Amino acid sequence: MESTSSSRITAVALAFMAVIWVSPFSWLFLNAFNPMSTGQLEIPRSVGLDNFALAVSGNAGKQFLNSMLIAAGTATLSVIVGIAAAYPLSRLRIPGRNAFLWTLVLLRMLPSAGVLVPLYFAAQRGGLLNQFGVIVALTILNLPFTLLLLKNFFDTVPIELEEAAYVEGATLFQIVTRIVLPMSRAGIAVVWFYSFTGAWNEFLLPLIFARVQDAFPMSVGLYAAFGQQGAINYGFLTAFSIIYAAPAVGVYFLLRRNMNTGFAGVGVKG
Amino acid sequence: MKNQANPWLTSNLWVLGLGMLPAAILIGALLYFTAWAFAFSFTDLALVGRKSVEWSWVGLQNFERLFTRRGFLESLWTTVIFVFFSAIVGQSVLGFLLAALLRGTQSSIRNVVEICIMLGWLLPDIVAAFLWSATTSQTGLINQLFIIPFGLKPINFINEYALPVVTIANIWKGTAWSYLLFSAALDSVSREVVEAAKVDGATGFQRIWLVMLPIIRPHIATNMLFITIWTFTYFPLIFAMTGGGPGTATQTLAVFLYNQSFSRGNLGFGSAISVAMLVIVGLLSLVYLRMLREPK
Amino acid sequence: MLRQGFLTTVAALSLMAAAAMPAQAEVTIMYPEWIASLVEPGIEAYKTETGDTVNAIKLPGQGYDQRIALDLSAGTAADVNVIDSFMVSELAAAGYLTPLNDMAAAWDQYQYYLPGLLEVASYQGNVYALPTDTDVRMLWYDKSNFEKAGIAMPWEPKSWTDVLDAAQKLKDAGVQYPFQLPAGTKQGEAATMQGVYMALLGADVPEGDRNRLLNRETNQWIGDSPALRRVFDLYHQVYVERELNPADLNYATDIGAAVRQALADDKLGILASGSWEDACLWDCNAPPSREERDALVGWTPWPGSGEPGTKATTNISGGWAIGINAKAADAEASFKLVTSIFDEGNFKAWTLANHRMAVRTDISESAEYTADPFLAEATALAADTTGRDTIPGYQTVSALIQQATSDLLDGASVEEVIQSYHDALVDEFGEEKVITYE
Repeated sequence: MESTSSSRITAVALAFMAVIWVSPFSWLFLNAFNPMSTGQLEIPRSVGLDNFALAVSGNAGKQFLNSMLIAAGTATLSVIVGIAAAYPLSRLRIPGRNAFLWTLVLLRMLPSAGVLVPLYFAAQRGGLLNQFGVIVALTILNLPFTLLLLKNFFDTVPIELEEAAYVEGATLFQIVTRIVLPMSRAGIAVVWFYSFTGAWNEFLLPLIFARVQDAFPMSVGLYAAFGQQGAINYGFLTAFSIIYAAPAVGVYFLLRRNMNTGFAGVGVKG
Repeated sequence: MKNQANPWLTSNLWVLGLGMLPAAILIGALLYFTAWAFAFSFTDLALVGRKSVEWSWVGLQNFERLFTRRGFLESLWTTVIFVFFSAIVGQSVLGFLLAALLRGTQSSIRNVVEICIMLGWLLPDIVAAFLWSATTSQTGLINQLFIIPFGLKPINFINEYALPVVTIANIWKGTAWSYLLFSAALDSVSREVVEAAKVDGATGFQRIWLVMLPIIRPHIATNMLFITIWTFTYFPLIFAMTGGGPGTATQTLAVFLYNQSFSRGNLGFGSAISVAMLVIVGLLSLVYLRMLREPK
Repeated sequence: MLRQGFLTTVAALSLMAAAAMPAQAEVTIMYPEWIASLVEPGIEAYKTETGDTVNAIKLPGQGYDQRIALDLSAGTAADVNVIDSFMVSELAAAGYLTPLNDMAAAWDQYQYYLPGLLEVASYQGNVYALPTDTDVRMLWYDKSNFEKAGIAMPWEPKSWTDVLDAAQKLKDAGVQYPFQLPAGTKQGEAATMQGVYMALLGADVPEGDRNRLLNRETNQWIGDSPALRRVFDLYHQVYVERELNPADLNYATDIGAAVRQALADDKLGILASGSWEDACLWDCNAPPSREERDALVGWTPWPGSGEPGTKATTNISGGWAIGINAKAADAEASFKLVTSIFDEGNFKAWTLANHRMAVRTDISESAEYTADPFLAEATALAADTTGRDTIPGYQTVSALIQQATSDLLDGASVEEVIQSYHDALVDEFGEEKVITYE
């Protein structure tokens, strides 16, 4: 076992780390709970929830639902499309599949700003200037990462288990749903969460695609803080961003158990 | 080889093909959009005005200008420094150290640290930018805690150390991913191997360096590729914090790309920049792939 | 469960789209959040009067310019659009906007618009948008710091040398930001308008547009001129050679807040900005009383450079405007909505409440407007104003100017910066569209 002194040093170092990491948040919380917030780091003269009341008034409820729809929709669609393609990619010996997947990941380097114009015109022609269009567009942009991650997770599921199930008379569908998916449950959670947070924070696509005011998600609503003639409402900004980040943190904790083991399969076998 | 003989696969080839169809269609769409970005790099396409409709082919002109005009090479250098220190050194090494240290500790400390780094990851970019510029301002936390109490003149960090400040902010924001990846990877190292090393008298450092690191080498390579790509193209945090300044001190390629494509409105030149970025990271990824293939 | 919710939403959205099919005339309008208090009462008035539906979409300022360019080029834009006036000619040249002359001629309040401001929103002789507001530009100064530096007030600099001398005295007196001159790409249009163009107009004689970015006779951009070199040298002096100002305010995350804070902390000397600061140096929506403001800051027109034959003072104006989509389903109804927004009662109330500068004589000559001494004085300054070079390409040129000031902050020499500016202009517009003045 570790000697007590070295583990104590470790604990102190970690605690120190945590303090450093969390200390910038003092600005966020001091401003959010200060009804007279100025954006400076200062101890509030009075503490109140006025900013939070302001943040949830107006369109925030509707925007929250839109954010949920876009984030959960993108994550779910990405995972479904990804699984359907990653399993065959993992199991069939398609020549050059690895090189292909790595190239796709590299192609995603072209910033989405670069593909924005053709993407927008395509969505317009396809009648997809709505939430569904945003979900599809984000799924397209996610797919290279999703495919590579999911394929690697499926690679780690031992094929002997599938053989045994086949001998006992299981169909392909049963093999996938009863063996492969449960065994890579963790990996799927990772991919889902990755897509979820990406879509949750997406600003430009929903802004450009939405045709009506009510279709904006919270990432757009956040910018209401910048409304009045260039003067930023810091109270609104900080309170709104706490409300905005909280659901994503909540989703993380819901998935955390799965994720901590899930990441083990990410490594690529060249 | 073995899977060619797997009857549940071979007898269902058309089902598997059908399953790949949606992804194939979406990948096709992605390739189509990407092809546009490639094609635009050979045109003088503009964002607004006449040249947004009546653009024409200009050959390799945009690529020549990457080297003959001020901006690209300077930004490339800034980007290399930013990526190296914030992603490779910062996020990767720090993420690994945290993951290695937290393995042996009780879960309450682990929970607290995890929540801390996760909050940074999940905070919207624009708010993280405000938070960090407030923290490093003359009245901010760092000056209040470490400079003013010692009777020193408050330092305007963003003005004097712009690149280090955005680098640190990006480490703070992005370490969560590397941490999660490495802690999961370390979980997969079998306990027997670690115990055996301990019996042989290896110190904690030796166990990490000589035993665990080689085992998780593939994870390191994958992580390098992912965070290099993300950091190369990462734009909102720097743009909101400094807009690439002061002067061009923090103008990374992603910021330069935005300025050329949207402020200046030259989508053709902007596309050429992004194609060049792609080539550079493509070359880097060959290095990572080699790292991955090398036998233990 | 998620999928189910998702499918329901898709179905609901399609139903909504079907239900939105207009029974009677429907007009759509898009505007940025900050101008809501002008637009929204106008929409209400229009709805009450005509019984039509108005489909309004209000956007945050962030990303607004991008969206409007995409929307108009893809044909998905609203019928009525609020636009920054410098984009009007660009959009009109691409055929995205409806000319308003005929419809406007039939509107009894059209006659009050100031012709110079309509000019800014025109392209090839046609008016494409109606201005919402305008502004003038000047040098603001902090009175307590001027006192500390021993500079006589009211401050009336006659040349750039006077300004730089004052900045030097302020610096020597320990003022942290002696001369905040907007520079760099993060400042965006502010660097071009509040900084470069204000200096440029007084840097050389007006003949042949030697003091501008564009020769308006020949529509050629000026790639190199004594005026440009003098302006770039001014930046070089302020930020590099004499270090009369640190660069950081230009790159603050929230520039407006950083400037306000600097003023509140008595760290600001001279600020090159515009008429809106009369309110926005404090809280734009609830500024302190007139007396308090006058005790803290003063302002003076931008002086010319002092070179022979240059203007004594300079000024340039911008502002926003409202235009109609060329593809608007019902242009008449759209224009009707525009006139409801600009109807005298609504327009005047907004102009006064927001400390804006009036664009119409019926408002600027009203008793309420002239009662405000600041607005009255500033409007006098507007008599000798000019607009931006609103031909297509301005946006690009403005971005190049901002880039040039960034490079100057980096320490690049005037010669280098002129060279790259000239080359970039040639890259964008071709050799024949760029001229050089000796």
